[in-house]
Amino acid sequence: MNLEEVRPGQEVTILELVGKEDILKKVEAMGLRRGRRVSLLQKVGRNLLLKVDNSRVVISKDLARNIEVQ
Amino acid sequence: MKSITVALAGNPNVGKTSILNHLAGTSLKVGNWPGVTVEKREGKTKFWDYEIKLIDLPGVYTLEPISEDEWVAYKYITEERPDLILNVIETPNMERDLLLTVELLEHEVPMILVLNMSDEAQKLGIEINEKWLSELLGVRVLKTNGRTGEGVKAILPNIVEALSLREKPKVLKYSDKIEEILEKIREREDETKAELIKKLLEAKEFSKYREDIRRMFGKDAHEVIKDERYAKAHGLYREVVSRKALTSRDITDSLDKVLLHPLLGIPLFFFIMFLLFKVSFDFSAPLMDWVDGFIGSFLAPIVSEVIRSLGLGDWIERLFSEAVVGGVGFVLTFVPLIAVIYFLLALLEFSGYLPRVAFLMDRFMHRIGLHGKSLVPLLLGFGCNVPAIVATRTLETKRDKLLVIAMIPFMSCPARLVVFSFFAVIFFKNPAVVIFSLYIFGILVALMTAFLLRKTTFKGSLYHFVMELPPYRLPTLRLIFRVVWAYVKDFLYRAGTLIFAASVLIWFLLNLPPGVKNPSESLAAHLGRAIAPLFKPLGLDDWRMATSLIPAFLAREIVLSSMGTIYASEIERQEQEFKLSEALREQVVGLGRALKDATLNVFRPVPTAFEVEEEGTESLKSLIASSLSPASALAFMVFLLLYTSCLGTVAVMWREVGKKFALLFLVYSLLVGWTAGFILYRVGGLIWNT
Repeated sequence: MNLEEVRPGQEVTILELVGKEDILKKVEAMGLRRGRRVSLLQKVGRNLLLKVDNSRVVISKDLARNIEVQ
Repeated sequence: MKSITVALAGNPNVGKTSILNHLAGTSLKVGNWPGVTVEKREGKTKFWDYEIKLIDLPGVYTLEPISEDEWVAYKYITEERPDLILNVIETPNMERDLLLTVELLEHEVPMILVLNMSDEAQKLGIEINEKWLSELLGVRVLKTNGRTGEGVKAILPNIVEALSLREKPKVLKYSDKIEEILEKIREREDETKAELIKKLLEAKEFSKYREDIRRMFGKDAHEVIKDERYAKAHGLYREVVSRKALTSRDITDSLDKVLLHPLLGIPLFFFIMFLLFKVSFDFSAPLMDWVDGFIGSFLAPIVSEVIRSLGLGDWIERLFSEAVVGGVGFVLTFVPLIAVIYFLLALLEFSGYLPRVAFLMDRFMHRIGLHGKSLVPLLLGFGCNVPAIVATRTLETKRDKLLVIAMIPFMSCPARLVVFSFFAVIFFKNPAVVIFSLYIFGILVALMTAFLLRKTTFKGSLYHFVMELPPYRLPTLRLIFRVVWAYVKDFLYRAGTLIFAASVLIWFLLNLPPGVKNPSESLAAHLGRAIAPLFKPLGLDDWRMATSLIPAFLAREIVLSSMGTIYASEIERQEQEFKLSEALREQVVGLGRALKDATLNVFRPVPTAFEVEEEGTESLKSLIASSLSPASALAFMVFLLLYTSCLGTVAVMWREVGKKFALLFLVYSLLVGWTAGFILYRVGGLIWNT
């Protein structure tokens, strides 16, 4: 499944980031990359609030759709 | 003396600027959200025999820039080559931060690692073996707490030692296959790893090697290099970090459960904003009264006495009491309001709540075609429009940047609040409601402007939203007071220069041609009458109002100092007997009472400021009340709210976007302000006249 389908409170592992957009490189550098565990804290509007290690990252759903998780 | 250039590099919001402030004694702007620093800043300090120039760079997660501020950092590191890089790391997020460290090491510039926020890491059960890290990389590793300044002292001696001993970081080694290829494309002995990689990924003549890599790894060369960097960062992390499992709950997570709640979050935001304004008014009102009295019945009589005893002449005494006390002194009475509102805004900014508002409000913002992230500069606009416009540099697209810059000037700043608080009390029964409505009205005009621009000029679609939310942090009081003092100092400076000059100019115009008896026959009155027809449709045909508006294009507070000066010449001065010792005691007792009232006010549930009090007949308030109607006062406030009558804002727009944009916007804001004022004057007239 992709990250958009994850429910609040769930913790998943990132499998792959799909796509070639520049912004994905930034997302990766912010810690959302293959093999990392992320948990979804909140879903508000078109955004997701994720916890990666000790940082909290907000990404919009259109980006979350590009991230395959398990 | 030798000079050294040191660049501070690191991820956003890791505390680079705080460390620089501790090192160089500067007071560069800091805050608890990513993107406070958007341009290259400098601080200088001397240590032993060295002059150390410290360059603060905007934070980046990786050396692959997208937004304007990221480009600044990237260009500096890749093109200017500082003598040493101070790589600041947020210790709780070491694994993420080490990616940038690896990328920086590729440039083979001497480096020192600063593990900042080590106190937070400790609380999270994270332990770093800094000796081992130092050995692995061949760089010095220091632990600091940028908030309190702990450990920062060790940085300067280490910089000097590392440089004088010519310490160089160990050259990074990637996997054998990649290293082999990189050696093949080496043309000079001294090429850095970064240069080799750039050639491998970009140069035409090496496309053969990129083909080779694709064949060997089954992936693009870009991808392979990226994987190598991540693997290196991850490897380092595994080597030096150990974690203890802690059971204590994270305060940030608990607070976010409430403050970012899908349903409660937004009402709570409005409640926080309401509290902010309520507390600023209620706390500052008694203090403002005290300052007013202190200037009017303590300072002014003393200086008048001195002028008289020196025999400087009647006109100097009048210049002093009308332009300096009436004009500048009047504006100074608002210092408590300015100080309190900046205190609370700083608290909001340092707590980490600010970027969370962007996350909460994105729901509404993206419907009107704007990014939640653009809310950060918009909110900063309530503090001051100038830094808010500079803050748009963090936005990823030019379209977003221009849209937001066109909205910021409609966010009402404390300079406008000062004018509103004065007029609203005179003309309306519920001044708080009027002021609040003006703020909302400004926001609506900003939204309308964005809507119009989007339909005509900036059509493109919305960009993705990516942002980091910092943990909640408690700022030190020292830091907050430093920020408040910076704003108050700026306000006082303006009072002493710009506002003083404008008041004196107005005073001279009021007293020219020489020998003029009645102010209404003076040059000032003629000037005012010449432009008054422009403002007549807003109900502002009184020359005194029109004249006050002329110098106000410099800064909005000047409207008040000018009015103070003009009306001061009409106020009958009461001569009172003045005894220094008695007056002094009165002032001290008054200050005590004001402080007590201010504190009590904060705890009252209903806003108490603005309770209209009866004043003497010949006060400034009563004179203004008699020369305007409520409808024209409203038109006046709305005009001043919308029209960009602030030289600083126009200048920063000019610099950030260009002359054409700044001037067009100025004209637009004038038209919008005038039209809105006109409509409200008509509507208000219908309401109040029936």
